[in-house]
Amino acid sequence: MLHIENLTVQRGSQVLFQNLDLRIAPGEVLTLMGASGSGKSTLLNWLIGALDPVFSASGALWLKGQRRDALPTELRRIGILFQDDLLFAHMSVGQNLAFALPAEVRGAARRTRIEQVLADVGLSGFAERDPATLSGGQRARISLMRALLAQPDALLLDEPFSKLDAVLRGQFRAWVFAHLQRTGIPTLLVTHDPQDAPAGGKVIDICTWQNTSP
Amino acid sequence: MTDNPRTLWLATVPVALVIAPVLPGLYWALSPAGDSAVWRALWQEPQWPLALQTTLTSALLGSLLAAAGAAMLAMLIYPSALWSRLQRHLAVLLSVPHAAFAVGLFFLLAPSGWLARALAPLMGWSSPPNWVSVQDPYGLSLALALAIKESWFLLWMLMALLGEQAVARQMLVARSLGYGRLQIWRAVLWPQLLPRLAWPMAAVLAYGLSVVDMAIVLGPGTPPTLAVLVWRWLTDANPDQQALGGAASLVLLLLLVAAGGVACLAWQVYRHQRQRRLPKGQRRPHAPPAWLKLHVPMLGVGYLVVALLALWSLAGPWFFPALWPQELTLTSWRSANWQPFWTTLWLATAASMWCVAATLIWLEWGPQRYNAVLYLPLIVPALPLVAGQYAALLKLQLDGQAAGVLWSHLLMVLPYTLLTLVGAYRGFDARLMTSARALGQGRFSACLRVKWPLLQRPIAAALAVGFAVSVAQYLPTLFAGGGRFATVTTEAVALSAGGNRRVLAVQALLQVALPLAAFALAALWPHWNSRHRLGLR
Repeated sequence: MLHIENLTVQRGSQVLFQNLDLRIAPGEVLTLMGASGSGKSTLLNWLIGALDPVFSASGALWLKGQRRDALPTELRRIGILFQDDLLFAHMSVGQNLAFALPAEVRGAARRTRIEQVLADVGLSGFAERDPATLSGGQRARISLMRALLAQPDALLLDEPFSKLDAVLRGQFRAWVFAHLQRTGIPTLLVTHDPQDAPAGGKVIDICTWQNTSP
Repeated sequence: MTDNPRTLWLATVPVALVIAPVLPGLYWALSPAGDSAVWRALWQEPQWPLALQTTLTSALLGSLLAAAGAAMLAMLIYPSALWSRLQRHLAVLLSVPHAAFAVGLFFLLAPSGWLARALAPLMGWSSPPNWVSVQDPYGLSLALALAIKESWFLLWMLMALLGEQAVARQMLVARSLGYGRLQIWRAVLWPQLLPRLAWPMAAVLAYGLSVVDMAIVLGPGTPPTLAVLVWRWLTDANPDQQALGGAASLVLLLLLVAAGGVACLAWQVYRHQRQRRLPKGQRRPHAPPAWLKLHVPMLGVGYLVVALLALWSLAGPWFFPALWPQELTLTSWRSANWQPFWTTLWLATAASMWCVAATLIWLEWGPQRYNAVLYLPLIVPALPLVAGQYAALLKLQLDGQAAGVLWSHLLMVLPYTLLTLVGAYRGFDARLMTSARALGQGRFSACLRVKWPLLQRPIAAALAVGFAVSVAQYLPTLFAGGGRFATVTTEAVALSAGGNRRVLAVQALLQVALPLAAFALAALWPHWNSRHRLGLR
């Protein structure tokens, strides 16, 4: 369970949102809507631990019963996916995945595990490939698998579909949601496009916690 | 962009005027070095082995320390609020010219300098200690000066790269995977950033190899560094000595190429090594040690040095080991020689204006694919270039003339104005120009009335950068001016050999003040100019 408790973020005297409070159950994908400039990215930055120092925040982040908002990014165990896949350009596809794989998987088992992951996403034999030679859809899949291989306790999706073309977008969306349901990770999806939300999933507009003056 | 060959040709004229005469000049200056007798003479020249050694020590050690310092500081504090705050300090420190910095560092480190005065009560000194802390025979104090000054430049370059969203987000993504910042630097950032830092590093090394002004202030005297020796030989009346200078300046170029070759090789080995290795996944999520406040000495010394220049320029009697002068007085300022100041002012103003105009014309109409040629003066050691300029000026009988000095500055200023403007110019929204032309404006008038006014901020910045680069020029001024044109830079270096620290401090401080004023103007003028246009702020 991920719980954002009573979060207020301000920039000087300007309040971005007030008393934001939401819970996401394991395996649930909650969609947070908001126009660009509505403070969605600021919320994500707070969740991941990279809030710009011009903002001040009060509130708590609970994940699996632990408070995590004071921890640095590397100790939060929260994964993030941006609209750009952000694969490391100097590493092969396999190296990108191995970078995320926990150290407990040792030696030859690492290679086997990566081959298996690649087979799962329909990219068998891609381990040695340069990410730059992959299509947008393929890169997006690798990027999600990289985030999941690190076994995060929660996942944040920052408009992850917006750079894919219309056909690919529908396919990839369905694939992501099916995959996330199996992993049982609470996921926060942030977007400005209502179509991005999974069917039947909860959708909240960020202006719920904002003063609705124009 | 235009396809009209005539405009293309015309657009290259202002740039070609700057570059073209250097090429035959280089031939005239360096062709005597084609004779093997010259190389034998160089080999037997008694000062040459030691001079080469001090050049290698100061340039290589200086560049490596600068790189190590910048890299360590970045690894310690990026990403943090402190990192973003440093940017403003760097902007100020980068505008301090090399020569003034060297003079200030001399005031700090010399046996009778401020550091020894600060230590005197602890050590019980009543007279300056028997140190060789400046002008040491190994070139170590010169290396230190280069290391500090160039580390600011490299930090600035790193800041630009880390300011890119794609780079900053890679750090964030890798942290979200559980890795500590130091690990991410090693595994993710450096492998991607190092190739992009290759040219700035080459510029740093090229500068260190051929620096003369700093070497005169802080470097050893007998023998001096190779660059100083080359400069003396090239300006000697004896053609044999000039040939020696040409050959030795080629040695400087070869050293740069050799260092570049070694760096490329090391990079290939490193890449090959990590090609098939899978990351082990070991997480070390420790924060870098926060107590290591490396930024305090690295940037603080810059402010300290400028403060010492100011203090000496205002000092009355000031005996060792007092930390503070007995009284402050304006005497040195009242009796100051302002001639170099005015010469510098007109020279730098004219040079930056010419170069910005030439750059704008080049960017609008010129053949962009040749930009690399214009950047060459940044990464080629200055000495062969300046020798080429001087030879060309001699043939044209423009040496010792104001026009000749101005022209000699243009070659050094042009790459910087181009570098400052090219990003903003390429990023300009082309639809605005299309709209203006659809309203019936010709291309030139659309530039004059729409594009350039909208680009006033980067243009003002380019003017300031060009101005600062011109102010800092030492070798071109000396060579082309034939000793008849004293700028604040040549004056400060000339005075550094004498004993009068107050007069020296005044000229060095003027050298700091001119670029600083230009940058302040460049920041304020567009703001004032667009005070009624919120969209331009």
